Amino acid sequence: MPLVRKPLQPARHPKSAAAEVLTGLGSANPEERWAAARLAAERPESAAALAVALPRETDPRVREAMFTSLARIGTRDSIAGMLPMLRSDDAALRTGALDALRSSVIATHELLPQLLSDSDVDVRILSCELARSLTSEEASQSLCALLARETEINVCAAAIEVLAEVGTDAALPVLAQCAQRFSQVPFLTFAIKLATDRITAAGSRA
Amino acid sequence: MPDGPTLTEDEFRRLCEYLYRRTGMVFTEAKRYYVERRVWERMAATGSPSFTSYFNRLRIDTRDEIQQFVNAFTVNETYFYREDYQLRCLTNDLLTERLGAKPAADAIRIWSAACSTGEEPYSIAIWLLENWPRVDQYFIEIVASDIDTRVLDLARAGEFGKRALMRLPPELIGKYFDALPEEQWRIASSLRDSVSFTSVNLVEPDQTRRHGQFDIIFCRNVLIYFDDVSRRIAAENLYENLLPGGFICLGHTESMSRISPLFEARRFADAIVYQRPGITRS
Repeated sequence: MPLVRKPLQPARHPKSAAAEVLTGLGSANPEERWAAARLAAERPESAAALAVALPRETDPRVREAMFTSLARIGTRDSIAGMLPMLRSDDAALRTGALDALRSSVIATHELLPQLLSDSDVDVRILSCELARSLTSEEASQSLCALLARETEINVCAAAIEVLAEVGTDAALPVLAQCAQRFSQVPFLTFAIKLATDRITAAGSRA
Repeated sequence: MPDGPTLTEDEFRRLCEYLYRRTGMVFTEAKRYYVERRVWERMAATGSPSFTSYFNRLRIDTRDEIQQFVNAFTVNETYFYREDYQLRCLTNDLLTERLGAKPAADAIRIWSAACSTGEEPYSIAIWLLENWPRVDQYFIEIVASDIDTRVLDLARAGEFGKRALMRLPPELIGKYFDALPEEQWRIASSLRDSVSFTSVNLVEPDQTRRHGQFDIIFCRNVLIYFDDVSRRIAAENLYENLLPGGFICLGHTESMSRISPLFEARRFADAIVYQRPGITRS
């Protein structure tokens, strides 16, 4: 029988050229920045440096590693370091931050009310997504509070979309009020009807 | 078990959307019955009176329900030549492409990254011997790892029951296994010695890095068990463990696109696999 053989010399893994996080993050070489970004996960004190380096990072692969490290560090500082990215004009940076924040209990529980009240419309829209990580009751409460005061159509649409998946009966009155307020906006009234139908159907089968 | 209630179109969609977002698992309408059966099983096991109550339990991951639910899809499904379309892809396409990208003298390195009791790495070895005419022309290293040292001991012992061998033709069982009492078979020692077994936690960079870089990684039905952060870390570790242009094979329900943007999806005749880009982006 022919053998599937083990080589005597195993392949070597390229050695990390980033001996220090701070030096590595500022390197012109993306491989070194990648290595530094990954190493940073093991050094919580480097959260601030990651947050500074993130917006100017051009390699999507390195950005991904930076977000992962900030999420892995998972402290208030590291989570706070990602929040400004939600305001970025760069869509990839915004969604990268959102994906990383989604996994953070600090973001979804402690910071969500503040994010849903942010003055930036885009931040409020993106933050609605974070409510998916909450219990149905918590998500309904947070998003209904937002819907009750929200004037921006796109923020309402984002909240309604999440409520359609996770909302409880408690959201129905607020959805009805929202439908009245935006009765001249067909797509929103359609979205509200859809969400209402789904919540009602789910409630009737519970 | 008796059938449970049929999921409404909306419930099925919500469940599938959630599973994709949370685990990267992809299910279409064609898999509805398969999915529903698992939902019924878990509803019964958790005493959930309705899909809605079960879905809430799943979403909040009460008592590790995500893992229990995923287990319902995957447990007891490890056997030789499982998802053999990927093995066909390996010999029909992946190896050819890798050989074109590396010096002829370099070994071909394949990693079975969650090998459990050994069916996957041994399947790879048998498949190569049986289906790749150039197998004798190259050094091929197969590394098999798992986080669980108990299953690694079983993998090293290489003894399997009838169920594990159900997909293997009798002639291959006769060729690569020695029959033992009570419908057990032991893998041939030459084959057993061709696989290196080692303990690796995929979310620990220090553990993954020490095994170097590979041409092809099989990492099937593993990442679905991880939480979001662990999955991102594991994806980055696996990225580092792939040579530029190397391939990673996930389970048939899994999608790396949801997990990480680091890889590029490649569609071959037999399978969709993910590839580490060959050129460093700047």
